[in-house]
Amino acid sequence: MPLDYRRFNGPEDSVSYKIYTKDYIKPYEERYNELLDENGLRKDGRALNEARSMFARTDMVSQAKGSSYVEFKKTKVVCSVFDPREIPHQNEFSQLGQIFCEVKFAPFSCPRKRRPHAPDNEERALSVALRQALEPTVCRHLFPNYQIDVFIYILEHDGSCLAAAINAAGLALADAAVPMYDIITSCSLAVIGDKVFVDPTEAEEHVAKTSLEDSNINHGIVTMSFLSELKQISDFTQVGSMDVECITKAMEVLEVECEKLVPNFQRIMVMNVIHNFEQRKRLDDEAKEREEALNKKMEEWKQLMSAG
Amino acid sequence: MAGLLLSSTEKVFIIHGVQDDYRSDGRSNIDYRPMELETDVVSHASGSSRLRLANTDILVGVKTEIDVPKPDKPGLGKLEFFVDCSANATPEFEGRGGEQLANSISNMLERAYHSPHAFNLKQLCILEGKQCWKLYIDILILECGGNLCDAVSLGVKAALFNTRIPFVKAVLMDGGNVDLQLSDDPYDCKYLDVASGPLLVTLCKIGDKCVVDPSAEEESCSVVSLVVGITGNPKFYVTAEEAKNMPDVELKCSMIGMNGPGSVAPKTFKDAINQGMVAAKCLDKALGQALLRERQENTSFKKHSYGFLK
Amino acid sequence: MAEVYKLIHPVKHFNDYISLNIRPDGRVFNEHRNIKLNVNSIKTAEASAVVKCGNTTVICGIQLELATPKAEQPDIGFLVTNVELPPLCSSKSKPGPPSDHAQVTSKIVSDILINSKCIDLKDLCIVPDKLAWVLYCDMVCIDNDGSLVDACIMTLITSLKTLSLPSVTYDAETEDIKVDPSVRKKLNVSGTPVATSFAVYKHNQSNIILADPTAYEEEMCGGSGASLIVCYNNGLLCGTHKFGGSNLSADCQDVTLKTAKEKSAIVENVINVCKQDYESNK
Repeated sequence: MPLDYRRFNGPEDSVSYKIYTKDYIKPYEERYNELLDENGLRKDGRALNEARSMFARTDMVSQAKGSSYVEFKKTKVVCSVFDPREIPHQNEFSQLGQIFCEVKFAPFSCPRKRRPHAPDNEERALSVALRQALEPTVCRHLFPNYQIDVFIYILEHDGSCLAAAINAAGLALADAAVPMYDIITSCSLAVIGDKVFVDPTEAEEHVAKTSLEDSNINHGIVTMSFLSELKQISDFTQVGSMDVECITKAMEVLEVECEKLVPNFQRIMVMNVIHNFEQRKRLDDEAKEREEALNKKMEEWKQLMSAG
Repeated sequence: MAGLLLSSTEKVFIIHGVQDDYRSDGRSNIDYRPMELETDVVSHASGSSRLRLANTDILVGVKTEIDVPKPDKPGLGKLEFFVDCSANATPEFEGRGGEQLANSISNMLERAYHSPHAFNLKQLCILEGKQCWKLYIDILILECGGNLCDAVSLGVKAALFNTRIPFVKAVLMDGGNVDLQLSDDPYDCKYLDVASGPLLVTLCKIGDKCVVDPSAEEESCSVVSLVVGITGNPKFYVTAEEAKNMPDVELKCSMIGMNGPGSVAPKTFKDAINQGMVAAKCLDKALGQALLRERQENTSFKKHSYGFLK
Repeated sequence: MAEVYKLIHPVKHFNDYISLNIRPDGRVFNEHRNIKLNVNSIKTAEASAVVKCGNTTVICGIQLELATPKAEQPDIGFLVTNVELPPLCSSKSKPGPPSDHAQVTSKIVSDILINSKCIDLKDLCIVPDKLAWVLYCDMVCIDNDGSLVDACIMTLITSLKTLSLPSVTYDAETEDIKVDPSVRKKLNVSGTPVATSFAVYKHNQSNIILADPTAYEEEMCGGSGASLIVCYNNGLLCGTHKFGGSNLSADCQDVTLKTAKEKSAIVENVINVCKQDYESNK
């Protein structure tokens, strides 16, 4: 790899200390067994079909038009959306507006390795998937020849980061008052054999991605983004290997999970509107007060003038 | 697809045809257009293939190299896909235009080949934790006439089927270093097991139905397509007698992705996956037969070459 | 109304505020924004800290790696600090390689850290000529609203102060390395370097010093960053950097030094409270 002269670089041969620790190379079975305890509960105490609780807020970045922050326990994602700008380097007129997405992992976001500063394949794939999910959601005909920039920064990766990114982007677009057809929500699940882990953590995803070579069990990760009012799937990504039955089942589970998120999103957006409205009202009141004081002064002066 | 203009009536004609499972060129919704496939076209590559589907022309070469396995996967080899969209293929690829498409195709292939059910990386292991084979799969798109994903996946599977890996005669351990001795005889080599390799099927949504291998006219009627990667059936890649003794395998999805700015309803989506399964099965069977015939011709006599590179 | 006025007459709008001895966000000239500091919020990093000075938000995460030391200096480890300004932090940064501003900020931060001598690189060496720690400290700006360097230094120092290194055993004969993350040793950080940014504004032939400027104020003073940075370590001056803006008179300089010293005491206090809180909760 060519050296990056625009940053400070460490020595070329440096490796994470974790590969020298005892539990770095664990056999597949051990990793798998660690995921569930004797009661069939997951490591963080959730049931298999239980999604993590979500924390989300808008108006996170003061410099952006719209922004949001979404947290699924340890998975933390920031998103900001900027004003539409003319599509750079384009000769032809494009009838529909474009959406430019960039997903970036923080260098310290992954538990297994340090992320490179330059965009890698995974980030590119996530950006493409995010754009795919957002394109059918945004009313693109309203801003022809313009593009909206959507930037995602993943601060910490503990599974389901594509789903978190799509949710964050949906909220940020709404915060930026970009016209959309519907609220977009997203959720993912991991399949290992007959077990379905809703909203998987990084450890669960890791096991689901690799599988024993000789066994023929289903394994993999499915992420779906859904427009709940229109009942449309805007993006669907699957890796691993599963039969059709398993995929159909996954779709049904994800549909329900995505719909569960919608009321939360609505609440955040409504609160946002109320908050902005109150702020505006307060500013207006203050302005009125000032004007009144000014008018009073004017009256006084007028009286002085007429008296004088 | 520059200069392709369809009136709304023409579009309606195509949509209605698809609804009745009868397309304007006479195919049904799961029929492919005729293809030409040839393997072993590049003499310097370990395996190669060239595929032509309608106007789409693809050349795939496989290069083998010795590498050190990843520390967390000591017993597995490595695969790397690289797609190059030649600027000649279509005017849109000029400059950096083809880069994004190339990235998304190589990413889809990577995902499709990720599962051990699709391709077993253990066969590329030489010495656990020390040495393994790394396969560089270079895909060159010479001409782009639509339906790239399907064509590329067929070409890749054919090229991998054609790939020969030299036998390792002896392994000497000298302290921490490994010294490999490869066989000198170029014919002393093994073929890879790629029978379960995935094929990508692109399903183009037109109206409520989906079609495979859309023509340019059909593509302009659709806003979204689905790419489904489906693992192969090893039965199709052995002779009929051997196949009788093999257990039945269930076909699996190893990758699903969406392309294009539209969205689909869940019902259409499910139907599309099932349709993709059927299409992939037919395609896999045809590919198996063609590849077996090709291999036989290669070994039995000097085959007559049709290609342009010889 | 005020928004429109700001857009049409940006300089006049700003001047109006300054001539009334107040700043657009309601602060007086040498007033700082509120500081919020949180440690160990990123679990994937060995040590981390998030700081919020007003709107400016910076997150620092430290990751540890092992490498062989340089042949010229076989007894020192590596400390690699980088400041990232991802495109989401402001409309001025674009995707792609780091901008000039990001590179300059990275350089200043690393200079301040090296000049303050708070980390002895010899502490990072495990076996001379064979093995040493590499500390990758990445500071990511999530929201860039001015005084970036202050926030970066604050997160960096806080993360370094909460960092502990796992114990390493190195077998000289077999060159075998074993790491035990359960036994840890704290990294020694001497002192608490604190940077304080100022914007220098020329108003009616005199200089106005604005402490802890916002992005808008920095822009009005004609730069893409603060025009003056003063660093203190344990009440001792350890560096000043001046970048453009208008020139400083001697008494202005005294004011900045005094303000910076006062601020460094406050920040030091904040960091120590945070650190103690973290240690008692562990």
